[in-house]
Amino acid sequence: MFDYIVNVSGYILEGSLITFQLYLVTAVFSVGLGIAGALGKISKIPFLQAILSFYTWVFRGTPLLLQLFFAYYGLPVLGITLQPFPAAALTFIINYGAYFTEIFRGGIESIPEGQYEAAEVLGLNYRQTMSRIIIPQTVKRVLPATSNEAINLVKDSALVAVIGLGDLLRSAKVSVTRDFSIIPFIIAAIFYLVISSIIVTVFRKLEKKYSVYE
Amino acid sequence: MIKAKNICKSFTDLEVLSNVSFAVKQGEVISIIGPSGSGKSTLLRSLIGLEKINSGQLFIEGTQVKDDNKIAYRKMGMVFQGFNLFPHKTVLENLIEAPLVVNKEKKALAIKRAENLLKKVGLFDKKNSYPAQLSGGQKQRVAIARALAMKPDIMLFDEPTSSLDPELVGEVLTVIKDLADENITMLIVTHEMGFARDVSDRVFFMDQGKIISDTVPEKIFVNPESKRIQTFLTKILSQNDSSQ
Repeated sequence: MFDYIVNVSGYILEGSLITFQLYLVTAVFSVGLGIAGALGKISKIPFLQAILSFYTWVFRGTPLLLQLFFAYYGLPVLGITLQPFPAAALTFIINYGAYFTEIFRGGIESIPEGQYEAAEVLGLNYRQTMSRIIIPQTVKRVLPATSNEAINLVKDSALVAVIGLGDLLRSAKVSVTRDFSIIPFIIAAIFYLVISSIIVTVFRKLEKKYSVYE
Repeated sequence: MIKAKNICKSFTDLEVLSNVSFAVKQGEVISIIGPSGSGKSTLLRSLIGLEKINSGQLFIEGTQVKDDNKIAYRKMGMVFQGFNLFPHKTVLENLIEAPLVVNKEKKALAIKRAENLLKKVGLFDKKNSYPAQLSGGQKQRVAIARALAMKPDIMLFDEPTSSLDPELVGEVLTVIKDLADENITMLIVTHEMGFARDVSDRVFFMDQGKIISDTVPEKIFVNPESKRIQTFLTKILSQNDSSQ
C-alpha cells in the first residue's frame, strides 16, 4: 500500500511539472499584462480605453474552458495551430491578464488625488509619480485580490487536461482509471492543497511586509 | 516676485476666479482670507499649476508661466490641507524623494539637509517613522519640511491647519511663523485670523472670485472698510470663540 502511494505520487508529481510551468509563465506574463492594461485604462486615450474594455469584457465574461477550446481547436481553423502547452499558456495569460487589468485599475484608482498633486508640486513627472508613488501604494491594496487570483490559477490550471496536457490532475485521472482506485485523486487533492497553502503563506508574508505603514 | 494679471478660471459654468490681479514682492507674507467658495484655494492652485487658468497672465520672478509649469514647480513649494504625505515612505524618505528623483542630488547631501529641516520643525526623532504613526500636527510639519527640501523661493499654504484638532494648530503655525522671519515669500490661505494678523505683511480678502481688499492687516482687522469684510469677520470670530 505504502509502495503504491509512493509510486502514484511520483507519477502525479511528474504531471505537476506541467502545472508548475504553466503557473509560472501565466503568473509572470499576466501580471505584466495586467499592469499595462490598467495603465491603459486609466489613460485618457478613448481608443485605448475602448479596446481594453472590450478585452476585459470578453475574457472575463466567457468561460476559461471555452477560451481554451478556442485557442486549441478554434485557432487552427484560422490557420494558427498551437501545441497544447503554448495554447494553454496563451489562453491563461490573456484570461488572467484581463482580471489583473481590472484589479490593478481599481487599485490605482483608489489612491487619493492628493498623492498625485503632492508628487506634481514636488516636480515629479508622470513616470516617476506612477513608479515611485502610485504603484508601490497600489501593490499593498491589490495584494488580497491578487492572492485570490493566485489560488484560482492553481485550480484553473487543471482545465488544461481537456486539451490533452499531462498535468497534475490528468496524471491522477490516468492512475485512477488504470488502478481502479480513488487514492490518486486523494493524493492529487493533497498536492493542490499543499500548493495553495504555500501561495497563501507567501501572500500573507507579503501583506505583513507591506503592513509596516498604515 | 509674483505678478498676476487678470486671471480667470471657471469650472464648467462656475466662474471661480474673475479678473484677479495682484503682485507680491520678495519676502512678503500674504494671508488670503474670505468665505469658503470665494476662490482662495483655486488661486493658490492656479499659481503652482494644479489648475490651468482660462485667461490672464502669470509671472514668477519675471518669467511667464505657460502650460508647461516647470518654472512654477521649481520656484514654489506647496503645503496642502490634507498633508498628502507619501504613506509608504518614512518621514526622511518623504523629504529626500524629490531632491533625489527630480534634482538628482547626492543622497548623503539630501539626507543631511532633510535632517536639518526635520530638526527645524522639531521632528528629527521621527525621521524613521511612517506618516501613519504621526499626529496631524506632526504630519503637517513634515509636509512643510518636505516642501522646503526643494529649496523653494515661494511657499504656498492651502489651509494648513484646517484639518487639525484645535490643540495641534499652534505647533504648525509656529513653524510657519518661523519661516516668515526667514524672508521666504509666502501665500497662506487661512481661517486663523489672529495668525493672519500677526504674521502677514498684507492680507487679501477674497469674495466671489475677486480680491476685494488688498491691504495691511491692521486695516482689515481693526478698521474694516467694507460691510462684507465686517460681516465675515464677525461670523468667523464668533465661531472661533465658541470653539475655544
